[in-house]
Amino acid sequence: MTVAVEFQNVSRHFGQVRAVDGVDLTIAEGSFFAMLGPSGSGKTTCLRLISGFEKPTGGAIRIFGEDVSNTPPHLRNVNTVFQDYALFPHMNVRDNVAYGLMVKGAARAARYAKADEMLALVKLDGYGDRKPGQLSGGQRQRVALARALVNEPRVLLLDEPLGALDLKLREAMQDELKSLQQRLGITFVFVTHDQNEALSMADSLAVFNEGRIAQIGTPQDIYDRPATRFVADFVGSSNVLPPEMTRALGGPAEWASLRPEATRLAATGPVTGTVTALRYLGSATRVVLDANGTELAALVPAGQPLPSEGQTTAIAFDPSALHLMAAS
Amino acid sequence: MTAPAILPGRGLPDRLTGLFWRRPNLLLVLLITPPLLWLGVIYLGSLAALLLQSFYAIDEFSGVVKEEFTLKTYAELFRAQNLDIILRTILMAAAVTIACAVLAFPIAYYAARYAKGRWKAAFYLGVMLPLWSSYLVKVYAWKLILAKEGILTWATDATGTGFLISGLLSIPGLGGSSLSTSYIGTFLVFVYVWLPYMILPMQASLERVPTSMLEASADLGATRRQTLRTVILPLALPGVIAGSIFTFSLTMGDYIIPQIVGTSARFIGLAVYQQQGTAGNIPLAAAFAVVPIVIMVIYLMLAKRAGAFDAL
Repeated sequence: MTVAVEFQNVSRHFGQVRAVDGVDLTIAEGSFFAMLGPSGSGKTTCLRLISGFEKPTGGAIRIFGEDVSNTPPHLRNVNTVFQDYALFPHMNVRDNVAYGLMVKGAARAARYAKADEMLALVKLDGYGDRKPGQLSGGQRQRVALARALVNEPRVLLLDEPLGALDLKLREAMQDELKSLQQRLGITFVFVTHDQNEALSMADSLAVFNEGRIAQIGTPQDIYDRPATRFVADFVGSSNVLPPEMTRALGGPAEWASLRPEATRLAATGPVTGTVTALRYLGSATRVVLDANGTELAALVPAGQPLPSEGQTTAIAFDPSALHLMAAS
Repeated sequence: MTAPAILPGRGLPDRLTGLFWRRPNLLLVLLITPPLLWLGVIYLGSLAALLLQSFYAIDEFSGVVKEEFTLKTYAELFRAQNLDIILRTILMAAAVTIACAVLAFPIAYYAARYAKGRWKAAFYLGVMLPLWSSYLVKVYAWKLILAKEGILTWATDATGTGFLISGLLSIPGLGGSSLSTSYIGTFLVFVYVWLPYMILPMQASLERVPTSMLEASADLGATRRQTLRTVILPLALPGVIAGSIFTFSLTMGDYIIPQIVGTSARFIGLAVYQQQGTAGNIPLAAAFAVVPIVIMVIYLMLAKRAGAFDAL
């Protein structure tokens, strides 16, 4: 496995604020890597450390084995799709896409040919003569993507690429980005605060919390076996059980997570709760219980009897689904 | 008791608000009419009167204005002495504008990109403060600074750099016996007085360029210089044009600075002042006054064709 990006104990402090604090990270070549976390968790700063817009206060960053500590952004073979797209408003779409070739001195005919090729790749053939102001949000994002790909970077960075799009467009773009990445074989690193997006698109992901990586692994690892309470809370709609409840359910006195899909309602059991809400999801109903102040959720498949709000019920579960984790 | 669906009116304010809601155009008309009258009648009206006057001519014997359409007055503009005035003014205005743009850019760029909080306040204060003091006081102060016995000569003599000033003053055509009686002096005072009018619009347009756009340019492989040329300058151009309209037209119309600082050679402003005053030749004064307007129109058309407003 070739390593595309490697962080070794990397920190970025802004005065007293530790935006990134001792991060170790390896991203494999050709993978689709997600950085997931709430705002202010350091994920965007990590992306900017790769592109070179931030300098680490400590540690080393290597891109394909080369230390980039003293390499300015314009000499890194890495390109970025910006959150606000950052298209140049005074240039038409073709000139925007060809910009990376223009600054490297490519001849007009050659760079326009390549730009049109890139526009075709993102399904915007024929839009070359328009100005960015005449495009919709989704189209602008495709232009930003084409512009970032025109230099054939070895790593493509995407900063909340789908944040500004509406749901339907976002889902379509998710599929498209994924297939684009597979076709081009370039390493994609994308930042998002949307756990569904990260889980569905990434080959592997890092969950950030307060400038550190809370967990790094495949989507299945992260979802099924969250390492800490934070990961379980943030990533999933998992039930987070305090130590005393884990013990009551027959486990050790440790924090644990229990997925709603693995949780059923039962007539009797060691843990009981009052039904506080029923949320109809189509194929199932999510039943939310209040068990002595701990919120628990269970999924009841469609067609099975449902409790009513205010009713007291016990929960049962598949013991193999109980996953122990660290407290912080 | 349930509340009524329609609340009772509370007198005149409610009735007026209701009226404007029902007839949105009425409010627009009421708001726009006074300024439109002001602009339309007083400003455009006097401009039209000016234009009209410029097509009359003065009777050479009686000195009375003959109210007949003629291009004779415009033809007079092309006499050598008048053409001299026009060319001198345009050259001065162009030089002042270019110098203001060059000086203003770093200041505006710093203010737009780097100044935050207190430093930003200090910037605005620093740029605006000179505008608060009287224009005449500033010009006379400059006359003293630039005079042969002034502080500048004293300072250069004291530091042994007097050759710089004597070098400048020995430039044929621009120099003279002292800075305060040369074109260079006039130029310096113009640049000082109009500089804020260039900085402020430039800063406003630079402020609208998001940082991510500069980062995108670097990300795609551009050097700083390339980013400046292909991204920052084109996006700042509307501000530069707006600023240059100020500096250019203010220089062309000014008739006080060249009287106080500089050679006694005339500029358009002074020519207008003298023609309508002492000489009593209103048509020629009007024709002179039309020159800056025509030049500004041509300038804006060229700027538009060059794409200066594409980023707006």
